[in-house]
Amino acid sequence: MNNRFFIISIIALLSILSLAACGNTSEDGDTSEESNGAKGEINLYTGRHYETDQELYDQFTEETGIQVNVIKGKDDELIARLDREGKASEADLFITADAGRLHIAKEKGLLQEVKSDTVNKNIPDKYRDEENNWIGLTKRARIITYHKDRVNPEDIQTYQDLTSDTFQDKVLIRSSSNIYNQSLLASLIAIDGEEGATKWASGIVDNMARDPKGGDRDQAIGVAAGEGDVAVMNTYYLGKMLNSEEEEQVKAAEQLGIIFPNQETTGTHVNISGIGLTASSKNKENAIKFIEFLTTKSAQEQFAKANYEYPANPDVEPTELLKSWGEFKEQELNLTELGENNDTAIKIMNKVGWK
Amino acid sequence: MKLYRKLPGYMNLWTFLSLFIVILILLPNVSILLNFFTQETSNWQHIQEYILPLLLKNTSIIILFTGILTILIGTSLAWLISAYDFPLKRFFKWGLILPLAIPPYIAAYTYNGILNYTGTIQTILRNKLDFTVNQDYFDIMTLPGAIFIFTVFLYPYVYMITRTFLANQSSSLIENARLLGGNAYTVFFRIVLPISRSAIVGGVSLVLLEVLNDYGVVKYFGIQTFSTAIFQTWFGMGDLNAAIKLSATLMFIVFSILIIEKLLRSRRRYSQTSAKVRPLSTIQLNGWQRWIAFSYCSIIFGLGFLIPFIQLIDWMLLTYRKIIEPAFVTLIGNSVFVAFVGSLIIVTFAVIIANFARMHQSFIAKTSSRITILGYSIPGAVIAVGIITVFIKIDNLLFGVYESVGMQPSLFLSTSLFMLISAYVVRFLAVGFNAIESGFDEIGSKYTEASRILGMGITKTFIKVDFPLIKGAILSGFLLSFIEILKELPLTLILRPFNFDTLSTKAFQYASNEQIQEASLASIIIIIISGIAIYIFHQVLEKGPR
Repeated sequence: MNNRFFIISIIALLSILSLAACGNTSEDGDTSEESNGAKGEINLYTGRHYETDQELYDQFTEETGIQVNVIKGKDDELIARLDREGKASEADLFITADAGRLHIAKEKGLLQEVKSDTVNKNIPDKYRDEENNWIGLTKRARIITYHKDRVNPEDIQTYQDLTSDTFQDKVLIRSSSNIYNQSLLASLIAIDGEEGATKWASGIVDNMARDPKGGDRDQAIGVAAGEGDVAVMNTYYLGKMLNSEEEEQVKAAEQLGIIFPNQETTGTHVNISGIGLTASSKNKENAIKFIEFLTTKSAQEQFAKANYEYPANPDVEPTELLKSWGEFKEQELNLTELGENNDTAIKIMNKVGWK
Repeated sequence: MKLYRKLPGYMNLWTFLSLFIVILILLPNVSILLNFFTQETSNWQHIQEYILPLLLKNTSIIILFTGILTILIGTSLAWLISAYDFPLKRFFKWGLILPLAIPPYIAAYTYNGILNYTGTIQTILRNKLDFTVNQDYFDIMTLPGAIFIFTVFLYPYVYMITRTFLANQSSSLIENARLLGGNAYTVFFRIVLPISRSAIVGGVSLVLLEVLNDYGVVKYFGIQTFSTAIFQTWFGMGDLNAAIKLSATLMFIVFSILIIEKLLRSRRRYSQTSAKVRPLSTIQLNGWQRWIAFSYCSIIFGLGFLIPFIQLIDWMLLTYRKIIEPAFVTLIGNSVFVAFVGSLIIVTFAVIIANFARMHQSFIAKTSSRITILGYSIPGAVIAVGIITVFIKIDNLLFGVYESVGMQPSLFLSTSLFMLISAYVVRFLAVGFNAIESGFDEIGSKYTEASRILGMGITKTFIKVDFPLIKGAILSGFLLSFIEILKELPLTLILRPFNFDTLSTKAFQYASNEQIQEASLASIIIIIISGIAIYIFHQVLEKGPR
């Protein structure tokens, strides 16, 4: 027995060593380029996890020779890491899927101004920070879906309609821990004031068909299943369901209609995925090149196509599916307000018992 | 040598090493916990007023029921397998550990995928039988649903530790009880449960800590617990201070439970008296009894492994063309590498501390053994930030050293795997430690004392006497840590170096985009590797000396 144990240990150790050897070579490859910067590299922290983003990074490396090193994480934790690393941070760029979070990063002094005419030309003012600390790359709208057979779309034209008596116990929405809902409420605080927003949140809680649970897709499935009649979700999830490998998801999505809320009034809530240049960036020039690349027409097309998001560059058309849903009016709102109101939004949700 | 002799008895290599490790573990935690002593913020009042009661309620319900159910299932299975023979028992022996290979949050997504409206069961009912069901009956995203997920995927902790214990040590007591005419129930309740108490507690405390820590399942199910609230307070409200207060409240609960248990157990210790440790002889079950035992094991195995695994395979077949790529080989290499190195360090540290703690019944010894659990009781993200803080300090201190070897001053340690692996050690030391501690408990101190009386030093005694006896426990500690690290998520996600992906980060990448079908391939590979690990170590344990 003793022998066997030792043989197993030795085999295991050998396999570690060989793995370590492989691991080291690849790591050395990464770090050796750091010092001179002939071609250079950039270090990116990203909260977006789409496979297609990686394809864009690869494309950038191919075109420019600049290596893109990536750490993918959860947005909040990446901010915390940047914060702790401070000046010493190796990161040059930070990408996240929520304007509120970009604002938080800016407030903590983690970002710096991007000076680039290309970027300013490609991306409209309203999708950029006032001081160009962050730049929007893609847009997503938070819309209402309804069951085509059970709901008259006339009844559900605004976010406020969700709180009407018609939809008592019929509303499906995610939990308060979800950033998209926090940002939606933050936008309503900016538009209707804290009191109006509290009233709205409390009306939503009263009309909830069930305790909030699951992701955006689960809300849509809930409508198809008859647990509720209307649901709040991001546009791209519906796109994904309609193009799912699973036949039943497609069938469920086909039963749903889509409403861009508040068209006659304040506009539909829109959020962005955006990128910021870190205050500590050590490869600033290359990092700005990268941001410029992401705002170009070809990159924007790819962004939009892959994930059913709306491109932030107005010269680029959205995909056919999105076009079929029509154009819509957006909230007239500086997106930094999402970040400023985030804290208040969470407190309101806690107060009204939004689980 | 003379000087050494003059030192008090407890001042030896083991003591120093243990204290050193304890400090290593404490450092990142302290850097965070210091915030606890700062002023209360208005957010804390808000939390107390609006969410704390709900958090306490939800968390206590989940802990209570998961605790009871994992104890019932874990010990009953351990007892069945150790004491009886029935069909497929040899397979169940290790097969029942397999649910541990499935990360609970993946299990949560998978079960919802099976049960929801577009899921397998409802689809068949609807399309084949034209039968639409009430959604409430198929809703797993509830408090009981979360308890179900935790129970079914975490009971193996209790099962494993208790079974190892029963197999190795209980034979004389149990056989005596049988000879004296005790029936199966008396033996189980009057002998098995009391003597395996420390093993059960070891197992169930791992389960509970894992539950308290979980973020993935409860967030997906929309259940507010301490871990979701800590995240929301810290990141959403930007209030680290209030988040730490929540963490501290959580830790207070954890430590109270552990201390109460210790007090209840008081001085009851069971030490092996016979020189020969014999395996427990098993009883052949007959007739309907064997089928009941068989069905019970099958149901648990089915729920905890087979059903979700088949669903994942089904999804993989749907999606693999889109996502398979050569890079998966690197992912496997990375995952296995960090898990192996991490676990190796963990068991080494755990053995040192456990041996120190049992040699000395001093306050320091007792405290250090409890401190190992610290990293396991705090949510991963909180530890991660503590670790980053410490490493950046160290890197700053080392800038001079880096320069002297011709490197640019940079964050060398904090952008290397070193940081990630250290984090694993801080986090999962408790896993290795609990297994090894119960191994020491099991052999008692008779042999060690004899060896010491006969003049051998602590270290020599350890190598010649203790190590061979606890080899099994060390291996199970290693195995548990290995699997834990393999499926670990929050630390890996935030502390990894650039371009370093593992299987679990890959699975998360898809799951976080609500593409659970696409996450199946990486999940399956995690499960298979953990499964192989479970099997290999099972074989080693089986053939080892008792």
